[in-house]
Amino acid sequence: MRFCSVVHRYRSVVALDHVDLEVARGETLALLGPNGAGKSTAISILLGLQRAQEGTISVLGTDPRAAMVSGKVGAMLQVGGGSGLPYGVKVGDLVAMTARLYRHPADVARTLARAGLTGLADRQTQRLSGGQAQRVRFALAIAGNPELVFLDEPTVAMDVEGRRSFWAMMRGFAGEGRTVVFATHHLDEADAVADRIVVLRKGAVVANGAASTIKATVATRRLRFVSEGADPARLREFDGVDAASVRGSEVVLDSLDADATVRSLVASGMPFSDLEVTGADLEQAFVALTCDLANVQTVDDAISNRLRDTRSETAA
Amino acid sequence: MTGLGAFLRFEVLRLLRNPRYVAITLGFPVVFYSLFLHSLQPAVHLAGTTWNTYFMVSMASFGAVVAALNAGGTRLAAERASGWTRQLSVTPLPTWSYIATKIAASMVIALPVICVVEMTGLLIGGVRLGLETWLLLTAVLWAGTLPFVVLGVLVGFVASSETAYPLVTALMFLLSFFGGLFTPVGDMPTVLRHVAAFLPSYHGASLGWAVVAGRAPALRDAGVLCVYALALGLAVNWRHRAEESRAFA
Repeated sequence: MRFCSVVHRYRSVVALDHVDLEVARGETLALLGPNGAGKSTAISILLGLQRAQEGTISVLGTDPRAAMVSGKVGAMLQVGGGSGLPYGVKVGDLVAMTARLYRHPADVARTLARAGLTGLADRQTQRLSGGQAQRVRFALAIAGNPELVFLDEPTVAMDVEGRRSFWAMMRGFAGEGRTVVFATHHLDEADAVADRIVVLRKGAVVANGAASTIKATVATRRLRFVSEGADPARLREFDGVDAASVRGSEVVLDSLDADATVRSLVASGMPFSDLEVTGADLEQAFVALTCDLANVQTVDDAISNRLRDTRSETAA
Repeated sequence: MTGLGAFLRFEVLRLLRNPRYVAITLGFPVVFYSLFLHSLQPAVHLAGTTWNTYFMVSMASFGAVVAALNAGGTRLAAERASGWTRQLSVTPLPTWSYIATKIAASMVIALPVICVVEMTGLLIGGVRLGLETWLLLTAVLWAGTLPFVVLGVLVGFVASSETAYPLVTALMFLLSFFGGLFTPVGDMPTVLRHVAAFLPSYHGASLGWAVVAGRAPALRDAGVLCVYALALGLAVNWRHRAEESRAFA
């Protein structure tokens, strides 16, 4: 699946600004970004629900609508307030009918089992809970035995347990060599499930790589140590320090150059113990990537420099 | 297209398995026929036939209108609200097939309703017609159902899931009453007679009244129905497109 220099605007709002994406067969890709970043727009273009105003798109070697009609693509869309299902039908019948719309459908019983719906096959759709309805929508997305599946925020409104079992289900499905593209704003989901993460911000790709690469994108390192009576003002003088906080005897420094900060710390003669240096976690990376760091010019510059590097690497 | 067949079957079964829908579409015309059959002498001559036969045609038309409006309007509005229509748009089904299948399913379901009212006429009303007349009557009434089927779909697109049901009910009774399905048009005040002449419900039933009176169905009636079906169809198409382009804006 390839998505080249796609631009899409809603009146004056640019939803996608020269976005490039490429997904290899068998890959699980997460589109990560805050609301309004362009995730749903990208997915609806890839599904052929919308036409991009600029750029070229190829899905399974053809255009999005043709790929959909060929029956090799499945999708689970966001449904707003509704259940996304018709009423007055049993879950099993609905999944069976959907399977028949595809040329090479999956076995209905297997689809139901896979989505955790075996016990609910005789349940009427209007009597499902929100989480159950979501599982039915997942079953509909995979009923046609698709090679490529798009999931737009599939676990929105699910509780922790529901999300956990959903992704267990999803991993089993992706494990069969299928390609999965999902949008989410849950970092832990992207981190745990995706082979690769594309971070979107205001319609542009700001990061693209494995979770570990993205974490490394952000220069910030966090130093923690114990020191009695440390003075925050003095800590901020250390090389590389961007922010310092002191709580009792615990000191936390965010540094753009951890090595230099440690050297300053040692040179200052300040007594300290239990020094610990950690990289930014995905959450910090995500916040750094998707927020306007207007007041922290140095961090912003550092991040954009690093991003330029990553992007030229990806392009190469 | 096996997919389309499966979808049509699914839609028809879903209607048949809805007890409220079946009770309304069969119950209303059958009960009204049985109740009002004796409001006149069943054998009274009227418009080239007798009251029992004339009123059977009226109630068969009414049943078809009820079946068509309820099948389209209420459910379509609910399915738009639930997001099912969007889910269908990401299956291999062609984009036109949702509306086409709704129309086909409503047509399929209207036929047995017409037949049940005819059976009621035969069994309770003592209606006696030749086999050919029965068949022709069924055919013209069924064909005349099309504008109402399309109207039902249009209501489903225009109304929300809350307003669709009252709107369908209002249309159903207004069209039937002013179209002369409850009171013969000939007995209506002049003003209402002019109103009836504009309504598809009057022209749909007129096809059937002509057949039972031994006349050929009037081209004028068929023409009016075609114009209604076409105009409503264009409106549906327009609303459908507006909806598609608005879905993401």
